[in-house]
Amino acid sequence: MTQTDILGRPLNKDEQDLLAAYNALKDLATRADLAPCAARNVRRALAAMWQATNDLDLQFEQLYELGV
Amino acid sequence: MAYSPYWNPKNETMARDDLHALQLYKLRRMVAWAYANSPFHRAHFDAAGLTPEYIQTLDDLRRIPFMTREEWMASIADQPLFGDLPATAPANAIRYHLTSGTSGRTPIRVLDSTKDWDWIAEMWCYGLWGFGIRPQDSVYFAFGYGSFIGFWGAHYACEKMGALVIPGGAQTTEARVKQIVELGVTTVASTPTYALRLWQQATEMGINLATESKVDKLILSGEPAGSIPAVKRQLEEAWGAKAGDTAGMTELGTIMIFECARQPGGTHIIEDHYIEEVVDPATGEPVPYGTLGERVVTSFGRGFIPVLRYRTKDMVVKVPHTNCDCGRTGDLYDGGIRGRWDDMKLIRGTNVYPRAVEAIVREHDAIDEFQIYIWRRDDIRDEITIKLELKPGREAEWPALEAGLARELADAHEGLRFLIERMEPGTLPRFELKAKRLEDARPTAVYS
Repeated sequence: MTQTDILGRPLNKDEQDLLAAYNALKDLATRADLAPCAARNVRRALAAMWQATNDLDLQFEQLYELGV
Repeated sequence: MAYSPYWNPKNETMARDDLHALQLYKLRRMVAWAYANSPFHRAHFDAAGLTPEYIQTLDDLRRIPFMTREEWMASIADQPLFGDLPATAPANAIRYHLTSGTSGRTPIRVLDSTKDWDWIAEMWCYGLWGFGIRPQDSVYFAFGYGSFIGFWGAHYACEKMGALVIPGGAQTTEARVKQIVELGVTTVASTPTYALRLWQQATEMGINLATESKVDKLILSGEPAGSIPAVKRQLEEAWGAKAGDTAGMTELGTIMIFECARQPGGTHIIEDHYIEEVVDPATGEPVPYGTLGERVVTSFGRGFIPVLRYRTKDMVVKVPHTNCDCGRTGDLYDGGIRGRWDDMKLIRGTNVYPRAVEAIVREHDAIDEFQIYIWRRDDIRDEITIKLELKPGREAEWPALEAGLARELADAHEGLRFLIERMEPGTLPRFELKAKRLEDARPTAVYS
């Protein structure tokens, strides 16, 4: 688990939790066996978590390979 | 409940050195992404003998060739519908939009993925929250909800912030005024022109919006007039509300600047998501703080359609963040967007910018609507006429207004004579989205 943001600053507890939630959603988005109701809502949630984690400088990446 | 005044306190108050480090990190990633995935950008870089590895500092940004609207349109013409700019497959898109087409040119078509569409709303959140929109607000969108991107992002931003969204949609202005009053709306989002139109309509209906509505905030976008002091003053008095300017562009999908609640006479740049350069439009070289120049934007938002060093033709004056005491460290554009370089008209050797004319016209409170009409007398001499309508009950002011306005316009334009023509009420066009108040009726030369 990354312990710093993209500028190398240590993550606080909130940021660690947010990044963990984001990564969990990314993992879910890679699954091919989820029902449509789960697969599509995971992607919506991942898009939202991308904003929070990007705004807080926790990641800056593209998600098109996950359909997001 | 006490809320932070900032949507993103971490970055909006970040030290400038850290902000620049963040911009460099994002720039390098976005350049690498664009080079690897967008044929348009790869060709651009290759033509300049550049690879992403050359971008080591923020100053290296200037090694990247400018990107122009003309190139974008040519790309679309060569490879319909979206050109070779997209960096991922159209199948990843969930939204389609296009530019307003008010300039008469071929519209630019854009696609957004789920993430990018949510980012578009996110940028509006910076601006709307910064101006004071909160979950308890009821926000009315006086907007037609078509393919033009307009206030779409602001709509979803308000949903995200927990405010009540009231989509105005395709209705008459009268019906919209009724809804605004009946539903207890606290915030209205529209173009400056249409906010004036709503007020005019309300007055005709015998409604005083300042006393009979709950509106205390106006969110303005789509026209430079949102930062013209006289327009803002008229709107704030008419509505009994604070008016906040924002500006965006379809090419970015959203806003890049906004006026904060302190109303410092300018708009903050969202610098953790954009790099905004200001250059001399003739040389492309950067100009210092306080100097009028052209906006050039690099966006870290949409990865679908990367925008790197895009020449916007918007006229701006950048000033340091210290010009505002709100605590944000994002620099400002003093006076917002001041017009467009390609809006300039040459009349008998004098440059005339529509926004500058509007700033003078709107100082006269008795004027209801106006139009700038450029024409040619006897096939030889160019003339400029300001056609205007007076507000009901202000007819007695006409003689003094006619003389005063002509003098003020001439004084501001090297003595150029402006003709002033009074029109009957209701004869000049009204606008909902971007106003088009300039008509150039001069004949166009045709060469066979």
